[in-house]
Amino acid sequence: MNAVLLACLLLTLPVQSSDSPPLPGQPSVSFTRDVYPILSRNCLQCHGPQQQNGDFRIDSRDSLLHPDILRPRSPQASELLRRITLPSTDEQHMPPIGNPLTQPQQQLIRQWIDAGAAIPDPFIPPPHWAWSPPVRPELPPQITDSPIDAFIRQTLDSHQLQPAPQADPAVLVRRLYLALIGLPPTPAEVAAFAAEPSETRYQQLVDELLQRPQFGERWARHWLDLARYADSHGFQRDDLRDSWAWRDWVIQALNRDLPFDQFTIEQLAGDLLPNATEAQRVATGFHRCSPTNVEAGSLPEETRAEQLIDRVNTTATIWLGATLECAQCHDHKYDPFSLQDYYQLLACFNNTALEADRANPAQPSSIRFIGPEMPLSDPRHDEQRAALNSRLAELQQKLKRQRSSSSANEKSAADQPRTDSAPVVLKAESIRSLAAADTWNTLPDGSILVSGDAPPADDLVTVTVRQPLQNIIALRLEALPHDSLPGKGPGRGDKKRPNFVLHEFTATLTEGDADPLPLRFTSATADFSQQNWDVAGAVDGQPKTGWAIAPRFAAPHHATFRLASPLTLTENSILTIRLDQHFGSGRSLGRFRLSALFSDSDPETEQLQQQLQQVQDSLAALAPATTLVMVEQQPRPAFIFQRGDYRQPGAAVQPGIPALFRGSQPATQPQNRLELARWLVSPANPLAARAAVNRWWAELFGTGLVATPEDLGSRCEPPSHPELLDWLAVELIENGWSMKHVLRRIVLSRTFRQSADSTRQQQLDDQNRLLARGPSFRMDAEMIRDNLLAASGLLDLKQFGPPIRPPQPAGFWNKVGGQQYDYQVSPGTEKYRRSIYIVLKRSAIHPSLSTFDGPARFACTVQRSRTSTALQALALLNEPVSVDAATALAGRMLSSPGADTDSRRLTHGFQLCTARTPEPAELQVLLQLLKQQREALRQRSPADAHDTIEQAAWHAVAGVLLNLHETITRP
Amino acid sequence: MSRSGNSDSATCTRRTAAAAIGGAALAISGGRLAGTFASVPGTVDTRPLAHFAAKAKHLICLHMIGAPSQLDLFDDKPELVRRHGQPCPESVTRNRDFAFIGKTSVLAGSPWKFRRHGESGQVLSELLPELATVADELAVIRSVHTNEINHAPAQMFLHSGFGRSGRPTLGAWLSWGLGSDNPNLPAWVVLLSGPPGGAGTSLWSAGFLPGIHQGTQFRAEGDPVLFLSNPPGYQPEDRQRQLEALLSLNSIRAQQTLDPAAAVRSSQYDLALRLQSSVPELLALNEESQDTLRQYGATAGQPSFAANCLLARRMVERGVRTIELFDADWDHHSSLQTALPRKCREVDRPIAALIRDLRLRGLLQDTLLVWMSEFGRTPLQQGGTAATAGRDHHKDAFTMWLAGAGVRPGMSLGATDDFGMDIAERPVHVHDVQATVLQLLGLNHEHLTYRYQGRDFRLTDVHGQVLQEILL
Repeated sequence: MNAVLLACLLLTLPVQSSDSPPLPGQPSVSFTRDVYPILSRNCLQCHGPQQQNGDFRIDSRDSLLHPDILRPRSPQASELLRRITLPSTDEQHMPPIGNPLTQPQQQLIRQWIDAGAAIPDPFIPPPHWAWSPPVRPELPPQITDSPIDAFIRQTLDSHQLQPAPQADPAVLVRRLYLALIGLPPTPAEVAAFAAEPSETRYQQLVDELLQRPQFGERWARHWLDLARYADSHGFQRDDLRDSWAWRDWVIQALNRDLPFDQFTIEQLAGDLLPNATEAQRVATGFHRCSPTNVEAGSLPEETRAEQLIDRVNTTATIWLGATLECAQCHDHKYDPFSLQDYYQLLACFNNTALEADRANPAQPSSIRFIGPEMPLSDPRHDEQRAALNSRLAELQQKLKRQRSSSSANEKSAADQPRTDSAPVVLKAESIRSLAAADTWNTLPDGSILVSGDAPPADDLVTVTVRQPLQNIIALRLEALPHDSLPGKGPGRGDKKRPNFVLHEFTATLTEGDADPLPLRFTSATADFSQQNWDVAGAVDGQPKTGWAIAPRFAAPHHATFRLASPLTLTENSILTIRLDQHFGSGRSLGRFRLSALFSDSDPETEQLQQQLQQVQDSLAALAPATTLVMVEQQPRPAFIFQRGDYRQPGAAVQPGIPALFRGSQPATQPQNRLELARWLVSPANPLAARAAVNRWWAELFGTGLVATPEDLGSRCEPPSHPELLDWLAVELIENGWSMKHVLRRIVLSRTFRQSADSTRQQQLDDQNRLLARGPSFRMDAEMIRDNLLAASGLLDLKQFGPPIRPPQPAGFWNKVGGQQYDYQVSPGTEKYRRSIYIVLKRSAIHPSLSTFDGPARFACTVQRSRTSTALQALALLNEPVSVDAATALAGRMLSSPGADTDSRRLTHGFQLCTARTPEPAELQVLLQLLKQQREALRQRSPADAHDTIEQAAWHAVAGVLLNLHETITRP
Repeated sequence: MSRSGNSDSATCTRRTAAAAIGGAALAISGGRLAGTFASVPGTVDTRPLAHFAAKAKHLICLHMIGAPSQLDLFDDKPELVRRHGQPCPESVTRNRDFAFIGKTSVLAGSPWKFRRHGESGQVLSELLPELATVADELAVIRSVHTNEINHAPAQMFLHSGFGRSGRPTLGAWLSWGLGSDNPNLPAWVVLLSGPPGGAGTSLWSAGFLPGIHQGTQFRAEGDPVLFLSNPPGYQPEDRQRQLEALLSLNSIRAQQTLDPAAAVRSSQYDLALRLQSSVPELLALNEESQDTLRQYGATAGQPSFAANCLLARRMVERGVRTIELFDADWDHHSSLQTALPRKCREVDRPIAALIRDLRLRGLLQDTLLVWMSEFGRTPLQQGGTAATAGRDHHKDAFTMWLAGAGVRPGMSLGATDDFGMDIAERPVHVHDVQATVLQLLGLNHEHLTYRYQGRDFRLTDVHGQVLQEILL
């Protein structure tokens, strides 16, 4: 790259303050290279191929050189310059919306006009750089240890800037640890490196860190943001779902450096690979991370359409660096993507199974999440399960024998009602309730689980059954607990008293068209009734009496209502059962099951049945975990959605890639997800590798080589080092798409190892785009918490499995709609595991994450903001994890071996938080604080409270260390 | 006014470094930062700006979560009452979506009486007797429509102009565009009576704006602001000493690194400690006279919608830009006859008291109030008997009202057809209401843009017309 281009590049970067001195070497300006990209980014939308407001277009030589627009050599008389330099509040200012052109950009255009406003004839707009395949550029002449440094150095030289010296070994080793594994080094690890900060040792350290199991956990954070991974559906009914096996797959894939092309293919279409392994199917959880609307009354097809759109947009952002979503309703305004392109991509995703549907098509409130999910293999418990299954078979056999023997005895008595069958669960044909927005789900055991918004004050549940059965002598109602109910139920009211009050239990029989006939009960018995709420009250016709079960909550109960005469149901009969519950405050059943009884069971049968139930419960508890996966079905026809509305299908489309990338191979269009995935990581896609290395660069340096990593389209920020970006992209592809290889090259560069300290010279480049010094930026939310836990020694490095639940404020998950979960803090040190494992409920992200800009994962997030707020300060001072960490850090300082003075203890704590040794002035501040705290505490504490005072004083000091700007900064 | 998305979140302008290192407090008290919580390094140059003179300095949104029935509160439909219980003509339900009910549902007239009130003759139902006493202050729009028919998407649409999560919400746009007038309090505060709406915390999210612009929820349970209280054993003086040490250490280090973010970080700790006193002071309702508490129907120390209304006034007095009150439990699919009067009793008096109180204190002229919901309810009955019946979601025609700064008082805008099913006159889209609110706060909705993923996003997407008729 020549110096002229570099200087122009710098001019267009937001590097300079307007009052900075001019850069050395004023270049001559080229329209194609320098001016057109500025006009294209800012004006093309209204003055380009699609739209020519005022009959003016910036991609036409004639149009530009019209005297109404430009007067060569006469900037003052040129309307174009006048318009772009007006105050942005002026009606005539251009562009009318969006960012005004920067001072350097305006200056560049003025210079160009001044020099004659030369435009090549004919002028053909240059293709956007990112849409041509990356080619490995020639290395610059600068002599450096690594090609990366050569590119950086070349730019610095052209600005007469010097690179910074290498960072202090302690700071460097901390940077390296945090960058690669997201955790700080121990003081011993720092000391070992500081003792011998050689090139060899540094390389060894890099290789060692790349192999640590914590590497995948650190880098998964970044991928999970892109994949919008969460543990809940999102929207109103934000219930939890199991997808953590996919999160674990990502961590493992990153750890074993699964090549990025394979990483891509398995996640987009692992299920379609020949002989797909379980892991490859788990990988497809990537696109199952789409939020799913299961709000009662939502339309399944609308939800499906929104998920498709989300999948297309996410795919385009990650692998095409494109803002393709603009083409959902109309052709893209400034990038060459058409509506057709958009829906051809959508067609590739159009054939997977529905994920939310109505249990009963006629009942809008019966919407539910239906998967598909895949059970995970669980060999550790296979043996146990086999044993339980054989025990189950044995018991069933026994029960069968028992029944046949008793029925044989009774067959002689012809008039006796049949008693040869076990209870039969009644299947609800329909359920109605006064709570129109509740959802009813029939669980595999035939019980009915209610979920929904605040339960209604009066609830009358009507269940209809159409199930031929003979000689029913009694109806049984079971009130059952469930994890989703407050306090496990069986009631829906509150977690402290999950009671229910069944005021009346009534039933009617309808034969054909005849009027319903009320059924009479002669007795009601229950396993347990609350005092003054005997079950007999449920069949006495009195609205104020009824059955309740306090204080025996969270346990199953049952009531048996004996019929006055045996009941037989035919094909034409409808049994209607009504549960009248009008106590209010949610004292209604959250889970229940209805069965028909045919005999009074004898003790032996009862016992067998109990054993059977126990075995079944154990099996249920051992059921393998599941995860969400993609399942391909019969192809659905795909259409363009007119104006982006799925209800207005337009022309039919076939799967395909955007026309921009079809180039010379028109015949081969991907037919499905697998072929699309393969295309995305093929040489035909110029963007996948560029976008990936740019994101990794941003993770390591705080800003990408392209500062808008979510958009590499025509309006992106121009790359600070275009050749370096391409060099890295080619380096990735040519080294088997190895992410670790690229990361290794970057962290081994001198550029990465520079000191981050600024100097007056470097203040010219206040955003450090030229990288004349090392990176330094606020850690992301997960790293802040992990660092806090590691520094204080609390961190539990246990990996994988279901999400963890660190403490959070009471009522944090409360909201209208969806299940009300009882938030149980993870036991023991589970709550101190790494932040990647924290449960992510989309409508209420854990405050440790959201306070520090952790996204809610509703959509693909490429770049988080890095704010600095007072709420963050409060969290780092007062959140339980911060208070615990300060306690633990205080303990570490007090008990560290060899630390026999306050100074040594403080130094140890300081090193744990920052890796470096404090300067004398810093130590002085800490000693002073310690002294002041001891004094203040002594004055307000009893005389014999020495130990308590010491602990409290050190707690205050530890709090300061954990809150240092340096502690939460990625050096 | 437009600002770039990237410069103000991740990076720092070195120009601010010297000043900021010299005095952390300066960076805040200069009033140049876009709001209290807006101390993102690099925002120094983004001075709060308005496109034109603002009529309103403060915005209070009253969001009734779940959607109250406009047909029983604001939109009198005698014809619907006359045809109560009759099947709905097919021509009325054609091409219309409902969330739960079928098209064969019967028409349901309101069982409550409507009457004209005040000099303006504003029509209100008997369920809102207190609001009726300030009827002349209201500008009632009876012809609002929206795009979404389910709660969470419709709530997102109302707040962010888009039916899915991810875009900035109204209060975030205002915080970003105008900043805060009080450096000791957030620019945007959210208060809840009952659980939040189905879209959860997304309703006060900053979307792709820097996270500082998200609303701060003042909680009724536990700490009013998350982690506001110190752990047991800590006195304010302990925190003060810690703060001094922390600021010294940050400053010593910054002399070496010249990192401007260090000073901003320090200033936020300073602010955090100030919040520990300013928030409790704000929330101290016992400072209010018994008469005021009675007017609102609030009790000090008892969370309620009434208490939140009074807090809203106290926030206006202290310069909070946007205050949103969410009140739960208006989703009356059933038992409308008992549930709606109960809900009205909870909010009618406090809302009227708030308007009167603001007027009395001369604050109404600076404060815009918007009473709103994500959609309305159907003229069709949902469910069986009169006692248990309710109304379904209705997105095609419902009511909102505005009052206060810059709003033409006592006016009515728009009308629905005889059934209240569709708009007969002057359709007003939710984007139009959003455009109008921005206008009243001094911002041009077409120019308040933020570039993200190469596109200049707006609250009103590519739509929205300011409702000139209701402006003074």
